Amino acid sequence: MKNNLHRREFLKLAGLASLSYALPRLVMAPGNDQASPGSKNILVIVFDALSAYNIPFYGYPRQTMPNLTSLADRAVVYHNHFAAGNFTTPGTASLLTGTLPWTHRAFNYNGTVDEAFLTRNIFHVFQDRYRLVYSHNPLVNTFFDQFITDLDDYIPRENLFLANDGLIQTLFSHDEDIARLGWTRTIKRKEEGYAYSLYLSHLYEDYRERKIANLKPLFPRGLPNISGDNYFLLEQAIDSIGSQLSTIPQPYFAYVHFLPPHFPYKTHRDFYGRFAHDGYQPVQKPVDRFTQEKSPDNLLKWRTWYDEYILYADREFGRLFDALERSGRLENTWIVFTSDHGEMFERGISGHTTPVLHQPVIRIPLVIFEPGRQVGEQVYKPTSAIDVLPTLLHLNGQDIPEWVEGQVLSPFDQTSPIGERSLYALQARNNPKYAPLSQASSMLVKGQYKLTYYYGYDQLGETKERVELYNLDADPEELEDLYIPQSKMGDQLLEELKSKLEEVNQPYL
Amino acid sequence: MVITNSKRYSRQGLWSLFLICALPLHLWTIILALRDFSWVAERTNAWDAIGVFSYGMVFAFVESLVVFLVLTLLGFLVTKHWNQNQRFALLSTLVLITALWGMLGQLYFLLGFSLPEVLISFLTRSGHPLRIMYAFSLMMVLPTILVPAYLILKSGRALRFMQDLTGRLSLLASFYLSLDLAGLVVIVIRNL
Repeated sequence: MKNNLHRREFLKLAGLASLSYALPRLVMAPGNDQASPGSKNILVIVFDALSAYNIPFYGYPRQTMPNLTSLADRAVVYHNHFAAGNFTTPGTASLLTGTLPWTHRAFNYNGTVDEAFLTRNIFHVFQDRYRLVYSHNPLVNTFFDQFITDLDDYIPRENLFLANDGLIQTLFSHDEDIARLGWTRTIKRKEEGYAYSLYLSHLYEDYRERKIANLKPLFPRGLPNISGDNYFLLEQAIDSIGSQLSTIPQPYFAYVHFLPPHFPYKTHRDFYGRFAHDGYQPVQKPVDRFTQEKSPDNLLKWRTWYDEYILYADREFGRLFDALERSGRLENTWIVFTSDHGEMFERGISGHTTPVLHQPVIRIPLVIFEPGRQVGEQVYKPTSAIDVLPTLLHLNGQDIPEWVEGQVLSPFDQTSPIGERSLYALQARNNPKYAPLSQASSMLVKGQYKLTYYYGYDQLGETKERVELYNLDADPEELEDLYIPQSKMGDQLLEELKSKLEEVNQPYL
Repeated sequence: MVITNSKRYSRQGLWSLFLICALPLHLWTIILALRDFSWVAERTNAWDAIGVFSYGMVFAFVESLVVFLVLTLLGFLVTKHWNQNQRFALLSTLVLITALWGMLGQLYFLLGFSLPEVLISFLTRSGHPLRIMYAFSLMMVLPTILVPAYLILKSGRALRFMQDLTGRLSLLASFYLSLDLAGLVVIVIRNL
């Protein structure tokens, strides 16, 4: 599927969903091994909204990822890795472009990157490879649509859903997004309990429920889904992607973005209730100014559901990894395991739709599996999602373009600048795309310190500002705000952050 | 609606019945779509928000047609002992009251109500919470349909009241249909 993929071709492919489901489960048949010596496959696997905070080898007491934990013993594990934003759009755009949100400008909900990045992205720089992409998350598909001329195999997300809105897509093919939104608001009561339709929504719901009735016993909290009733099985997605990876031309660059453990947290029955009575009590933290007023009991419930959903994601990742290993492909494939942003269950806030940039929502996992590596390595230096692109370029022996803002990660480049580097993240969901950042949450991490600067929010009182400073080494839970006690350090970092914001705002003044 | 004792349905009667079917569906769509308008506009733009509104209106029109067809078929099951006006009034009452209950059911979620703790624990203890809730719903809804139906059949005043009401509501529904037309134009433009 190359260049200017027509919508009808998409739909034809969407019709193959049942075929992909019928494929043997992870039978990794030897494919067309055309890899030239030294040129290896690259597989980037993103699990949406997976917080490093909830992963055991980053210090979480619950064993949420036994498979990844075991595999990480032979990988490079980054312990202080940060997303560039706290939701999918900015987080993924930074991963795909190697630049920060204020540069690529994809920081609004379902935003797009600036046109300059149509040729400045991870798919364009790997044009010597066969490029395959898949995502459950429509916000990521928005980027795939932008980068479509650089994709060889763009698997429509509906392909791996159990049921889809194909009729609406067909009828309104030139206005698919809005037609589907109109349709969803009209007919799907499922998540919110209300819809425009008073009668047909009930019949429609009944029809959709019948289609998945035989799978319901496997998911006591309901089937994994997006938008209420776009049900999917992670097993199916993993099997399908695994099968495709075994047959596509090599070397390839594959980017796969799975929705779990993103809300709604619908784990498989094998993990249902696993942490329900383990007695775990999270660290109690003060309620944030941006609280959603969730009670501690509610937060613990959601955290537990989320943790149990991570177990499901972990099992499926383990299956994919095992299959790649059994097929021998692992010897020839770099695997990057990461997320686009985190998730939080503290300070009265649940999820990630929030202005705050506390650690659980911004610190994400990064594990790099190097072909043939048998010994693990731990990297504690702060790193950013924007570093993935230059690192992969470096591993591929390519030059790093000047527009890339990230750095090659240690230990792959020993010549990386030594000393304390400034890492940034941004939340500016409500800011116009091409305007100075007038309402934003910004973060600067430098060494052991993390400064967050919130401004332009009415909730913050007259000044509409808030500054916090934490020492992440001494206080990883961010319990003690040091901005006043260590005002010298705080002011210094704030000045640096403000000066950066001034610089990035300059073109839009 | 013209008062007649004919056993056949008149065109005007059918048109009024269609308008009565369209009214609650369009009203509810407009309320929710306007509620969504700023949500969509903030995330994309006003033109997209108008698009969502337009799709909502056109889908509401389609649903009105479906409900009207079902109701018309249902009308054939109603005994011919009652005159056409009584039958139309009955069918109109049926659609208005069930739509009202549909709205109330959705308002429950929309306004974030929750059942009292005592009721939830009673349902949990019962072992058959769904059956009890369905039975309870039926007990609530059925009288609200049967009582007006009885009044329409037995009281000339109630029948006239219903006819007056449907006449006025039909006028409002006609206005909503013009919005459907505008919505259709928007959809066509967006899909060009």
